[in-house]
Amino acid sequence: MITSMILFPLAGFVINGAWSLWSARNGTRVSPRVSGSIATTAMVAAFMAAIMARAQIPATGSIEVDCFRWFSLGSLSVDFKLRLDALSSIFTLVITGVGAMIHLYSVSYMEEDEAAGKYFAYLNLFCFMMLNLVLGGTLPQVFLGWEGVGLASYLLIGFWYREEANVAAGQKAFIMNRIGDLGFLIAMFIGYKYSGSLDLTTVEKVILPAGVGTSFVLLIFLACTGKSAQLPLFTWLPDAMAGPTPVSALIHAATMVTSGVYLLARLSPVISQSATGMAVIAGIGAATALITAIIACFQRDIKKVLAYSTVSQLGFMFAACGVGAFGAGVFHVMTHAFFKALLFLAAGSVIHGLHGEQDIFKMGGLKKKLPVTFWTFTAGWAAILGLPPFSGFFSKDEILHQALVSNSGSAWLFGVLLIAAVLTAFYMTRLYRLVFFGTPRMDQAKFDHAHESPVPMALPLVLLGVLSLAGGFAGEPVHLAHPESALSTPTWVIMIVSVIAAAIGATIAFRRYSVSEVKAEPTSDVFRIDAVYSKLFGGGLGVIASASQWLEERVVQGMIRMVAAVTDLSGNMIRVLQVGSAQAYLLMMIIALVVMVFYFMKGVV
Amino acid sequence: MTAFEPWMLLVVSILVFCIGLLGLILRKNLLVMLMSIELMLNAVNLCFVTFSKMHQLLDGHLTVLFVMTVAAAESAVGLGLVIAMFRNLRSVDSDQIQLLRD
Repeated sequence: MITSMILFPLAGFVINGAWSLWSARNGTRVSPRVSGSIATTAMVAAFMAAIMARAQIPATGSIEVDCFRWFSLGSLSVDFKLRLDALSSIFTLVITGVGAMIHLYSVSYMEEDEAAGKYFAYLNLFCFMMLNLVLGGTLPQVFLGWEGVGLASYLLIGFWYREEANVAAGQKAFIMNRIGDLGFLIAMFIGYKYSGSLDLTTVEKVILPAGVGTSFVLLIFLACTGKSAQLPLFTWLPDAMAGPTPVSALIHAATMVTSGVYLLARLSPVISQSATGMAVIAGIGAATALITAIIACFQRDIKKVLAYSTVSQLGFMFAACGVGAFGAGVFHVMTHAFFKALLFLAAGSVIHGLHGEQDIFKMGGLKKKLPVTFWTFTAGWAAILGLPPFSGFFSKDEILHQALVSNSGSAWLFGVLLIAAVLTAFYMTRLYRLVFFGTPRMDQAKFDHAHESPVPMALPLVLLGVLSLAGGFAGEPVHLAHPESALSTPTWVIMIVSVIAAAIGATIAFRRYSVSEVKAEPTSDVFRIDAVYSKLFGGGLGVIASASQWLEERVVQGMIRMVAAVTDLSGNMIRVLQVGSAQAYLLMMIIALVVMVFYFMKGVV
Repeated sequence: MTAFEPWMLLVVSILVFCIGLLGLILRKNLLVMLMSIELMLNAVNLCFVTFSKMHQLLDGHLTVLFVMTVAAAESAVGLGLVIAMFRNLRSVDSDQIQLLRD
C-alpha cells in the first residue's frame, strides 16, 4: 500500500511528462482535460492507498517497506526504504487528500493553458517528491524529497516563464532554499558521525554531546527556515505567488512549506535535547508570526496577503515546536492545510472570475456574484481567525496554550503570538471585507462579467470548506502521532482570550473598511526586508564579484597572456635562424656537431 | 716503394673530407655538391680501410663495400632529383630551392 501510494503520482508524472514531450515534438497540444484527469486519478488513487495504509499501522510503531539498496559506500549502505507511522500518515493524508482536490481544481483552472500537460506532470512530480520526503526511512531519502519538492516548486513558480519576473521569483526561491539545504546536509553528516547510520530510526535516538546537539538543532532549523519560509529566509515565499494559484495553494501553503515542521517533529527526540536550540526555534517562530502578520496588513495583492499569512501561520507552528509541543505544531499543519488551501483556491476562484484581477482594492461586492466562493471563503476566514468551532480554533488555541504553560513557554511568547493573532484577524477581515462586501470598485463591465467558477473548481472549495469547519475535531490522530506531547484541552481563559483577540482584530478591520468610499492604500513592505537584503548581501556580493573580475582579468588572464607572449617572443627569436637555405642548415649542423664533439671529448683529451 | 704510415693516410682522409665538406657548404651548384658528397664518402672509406689494415681486421673492408653500394644508389637518386629540378627551374642552383622557408 505504501509503495503504491508513492508510485501513483510517479506514474502520473511519467505519463503526463512523456505525453507532453511527445506532443511538443509533434507540434500537437496536450488536452488539459485528459491530462488533468490522469493526474487527478493518480492523486485520488494515492489518497485511497494512504487511507488503506493508515488502517494498517499498528497501534504503536510503524510499517517499513525496504524497496531496494540505493547506494553503498564502504561501510555505509543506504536503502531506499519507506516508513509509515502515525506522524507521516497525517502528512500523507494531507498531501494526497488536499493534493487530489487541488488537482481537480486545476483541471478547470488550467483549462485554457497551452502547457497544461507540463503543469500536471510537474504537479504529480511534486506530490511524488513530497511523499518521498514524509515517507523516507533514511535521511538521504528525506533529503531527496526535500530537494525534489524544491525543484518542483521552482519549476511551477516559473511556470509562466515568458514573464521575466516569474522566472526571477523561481530562482529566488531556489537560491534561498539552497542556503537552508546546506544546513540540512551538515546536520545529516553530524547525525551520521554520532549515530553511525543514516536510518531515521537510529538518528532519532542518537544522544548528541551538548554543543554538537545545539549546532545540530540549529542546522536543521536553518534548513527549515529555508523550506518553511521563516526569518530570515522567508522573502522567497511572497514572490513565489508568481506561479499559478493552485500551485500556491498546494505547494506554498498546504504541503511543501510545512515540511520543516515535519522534519522537526520527526527528529523531535534529538531536537528536544537542546534547550538553546528549542528557544531559538520558538523565538524565531514567534518573531516570524508577528513580523509577517504586520507586513500582511499592508499588501494589496490578494495572493500576497495570503502568502504573508502563510508565513505567519508557519511561525505559529514553529513556535509550538520550539516549546516542545510538536503535536500542536503538526495539528496546526493539518488544519492550516485545510483552511489555507481553501483560502488560496477561493482567491483563485475570485481571480478566475475577474479574469486575472488580483488587487483587493479593485474588487468589492462579490458576495452575490460568487456565492459558493463567498461561503467557502467565509469558512476559511473563520478558521484562520480561530472562531469556534472552526478547525483553526482548536489548533491555534492549543499553540497559544502551550506557549504559555509548557516548560519552555513564557508570557512573552504568548503575548507575541496573541498580538500576531489579533493582526491575523485584522488582515484577513480586511481582505474578506474588501473583496466580498461593499460597492464594487472595478469597471461595471468587469463586474457584470464576474462569474462563479465551474463545478470542478467549486467542488474542492466545498470539500475543503467542510474540512475547515470540522477538521479541528480530528485532533485525536495527531495526538497519537506524538504521545509525549498529548493534546491538553485549552483552559477556558485562553480560549476566551484568543476569541476576544480575534474579535478585536476583525471588528477594527470591519469598521475601518466599512466606509462608503474605501481609500486605496499603497502597498508597502513595511520593514523593507528585500531592500535590506539586496543592500547587505547584494552589495557584498557585488564587491566580491568585482574583486573576482579584477583577479580574473588581470591575474589569471595575465598569466595566460604571459605564456603566450613568451612563446611568441622565443618564436620570433628562433625564426631568424630559419633562412631556408639547405647549406646554411648544414653549416649550423656541423658547427653544432663540432661543439658537441668538443663538449663530450672534454674529459677524454 | 716505401709503405705509407697510417697517420699519413689519415691526414689525407681528413683533408679530402674537409674539401668535400667545404665544397658542400660553399658551392651552389647541385652537381658539384653531389660530387662533394662523394668526396666525403670516399674520405671515410679511406679511413675505414686504414684502420682495417692497422688492426688486421676485415670489418672495415666490409663496411667500405656497403658504403660504396649506398653511395652508388645515393648518387643515382641525387642525379635524378637534380635532373627533375633542372627540368622545372632551368637551373641547378641550390639558392633557387627555398620554398620551405615561408
